[in-house]
Amino acid sequence: MAETKLLLEHAHDPSYRTLDGYLAKGGYAGLKRALGMDRQAVIDQVKASGLRGRGGAGFPTWIKWNGIEKDKHAPHHFMLCNADEGEPGTFKDKQLMEETPFLVIEGMTIGGYATQADTGYVYIRGEFVDAARAMRKAIDEAYAAGYLGKNILGSGYDFDLHIHMGAGSYECGEESALMSSLMGERGMPRLKFPHAPLPTVAGLWDLPTVINNVETYAVAPFILERGGEWYSTLGASTKNSRGTKVFSVSGHVNKPGNYEIDFGTTLLDLFALAGGVKGTLKACVPGGSSVPMIDADACSKAVIGYEEMAEVGSMVGSGGCIVLNDQVCIVKFIWRTALFYANESCGKCTPCREGTRWLLQILERIVKGNGQPGDKELLLEICSQIDGRSFCGLGDAAAWPVVGAIKAFPQEFDYYIANGRSMVESDLVLVG
Amino acid sequence: MSELIQIGGMNERPKPPRPEDLSLRFSDRAIRELEALETHYPERKACILPALWIAQREYGGYLSGEALAEVAFRLDRSYAEIEGVATFYSMYNTAHPVGRHMIEVCTCLTCQICGAYPIAEYLKEKLGVGFGETTSDGVFTLHEVECLDACDRAPLIQVGDEYYGPVDKAYLDNLLDRLRSEAASSVVKLADEIVQVHLRETERDR
Ligand SMILES: Cc1cc2nc3c(=O)[nH]c(=O)nc-3n(C[C@H](O)[C@H](O)[C@H](O)COP(=O)(O)O)c2cc1C
Ligand code: FES
Repeated sequence: MAETKLLLEHAHDPSYRTLDGYLAKGGYAGLKRALGMDRQAVIDQVKASGLRGRGGAGFPTWIKWNGIEKDKHAPHHFMLCNADEGEPGTFKDKQLMEETPFLVIEGMTIGGYATQADTGYVYIRGEFVDAARAMRKAIDEAYAAGYLGKNILGSGYDFDLHIHMGAGSYECGEESALMSSLMGERGMPRLKFPHAPLPTVAGLWDLPTVINNVETYAVAPFILERGGEWYSTLGASTKNSRGTKVFSVSGHVNKPGNYEIDFGTTLLDLFALAGGVKGTLKACVPGGSSVPMIDADACSKAVIGYEEMAEVGSMVGSGGCIVLNDQVCIVKFIWRTALFYANESCGKCTPCREGTRWLLQILERIVKGNGQPGDKELLLEICSQIDGRSFCGLGDAAAWPVVGAIKAFPQEFDYYIANGRSMVESDLVLVG
Repeated sequence: MSELIQIGGMNERPKPPRPEDLSLRFSDRAIRELEALETHYPERKACILPALWIAQREYGGYLSGEALAEVAFRLDRSYAEIEGVATFYSMYNTAHPVGRHMIEVCTCLTCQICGAYPIAEYLKEKLGVGFGETTSDGVFTLHEVECLDACDRAPLIQVGDEYYGPVDKAYLDNLLDRLRSEAASSVVKLADEIVQVHLRETERDR
């Protein structure tokens, strides 16, 4: 199966990163159509498209946009772009910002118009300087040509767009922590619905805020240009996933990189697009480090779609697909995963702060050859105590990969614990 | 086996200056940048992160107690608040002064399975330092970092505002030689680039 290129069609063309080049390829047709429409009609197009958030959770985008008060009473409505891409294995937002910055800007402007937002922020992780420079250049060009700022294209709609840089923290990708960080605080999560109002009611500075992922915004121009109905024909073979999805494929494949596919494509087809597996396929983490890994057998059955991936025991997540060949020791790989979450836990809630450390301590002793009988069960027990009990999703995200790996490769854990060494005899050095 | 990656040493916190010893070092340019930034947000407090980036540039790459105190002063916040925010984020250098170049080695998942640990060992040996340490000539600080989200280029390292990858030993030998001959600090350059991307064309003056 071939790639379906929508977002990435012109990504490799440097002129697409300039306003002239973007316009020459039909850019801003979506915004122009939107500005001629009723605000609700814009939201209805997004509804018809079936677009679900590309940041990880797959939440229907139109519901967020529709949740903003229609009579604007608040001093500001905000459009917030989550460009904090921190999920290990994911690098699609980076490419979208570097190579298709105008798609993101146009998408945010369309969303802004539909929700009467006057100000937008793109929160970019601090390390992504190249992406930020590309976005800066594009925003400056858009302002100069009247695509941002006052009275956009003579429509009477005003929209300002700012860049805000992070400073090194995975947790700041979690939407409420991102808002804390933007407002000048430590990147800690806030109480969420139903215990607190939704961001669409009280987000940034307690004002109505829409927050979406970079890729989600980048889709909006196509939906407005070609219609929500048209977009919903892509991926129509799946239960409830529509359109294209950019997957970042890395690890043991011959051509690591970003590949855009229709929902409904098989996972093996995705591997083939990425040049095929290097060596013998052992497992895959299909949607970023937070999702459970699946073994080669499950890979061969996996169809890419939100519900379809659940059938093989995993998730689409953020689309960070890490491919592992048979040289990888799963126990050491999961030890490193646990180290990541222990490092990045913000420390606010006990299940996550303590739980991620315990997981790490136990995995560390197993990897050092000091595993004790019952350690596998202990890991599962701790995971069950974290999952669903942490203040934000980071705790869940720390528990799922451990449970997933133990489910898919129980014998590797048993062997390592019983023999004090890995079942996989390879010279890949996986621990420091 | 690695310890939890050190994000700011807890025991070696820099001390704030006494109020009467506060000396302000922000350049006129920095002050203009901060003024422009204040127009981007409905509340001035949101300038804390960008102001810390400005300070990291103005103070040569290290957020000393004096640097944090100046940010607190400029934004009319308490020292404790600014220190609390700064120490949360791994890219603010609050724990100790750093070298001219920071070598940030990603050992996270994809990099791990693509050979990051041998790369890290090689760098430790070649530079004669461990993670979190600076070479005696003050040129390099070595750090271990989590996924830089360019895993297609694993194994990957970051120095200043540049990513390098995939790297191998020969690549690193060349890179280190080149960096050694560069007199300008890539740590300061990174902070400056980050400040600049916040600012619109009309707000920049470099
Ligand atoms: C620990 C954690 C980290 C996250 N990191 C990101 C991220 O880097 N980028 C992102 O878009 N969403 C991330 N999310 C998801 C966001 O909270 C949020 O669901 C998303 O920005 C919504 O956008 P969407 O509806 O367009 O997907 C993260 C969630 C959690 C719990
Ligand atoms: S794992 Fe190193 S860049 Fe993602």
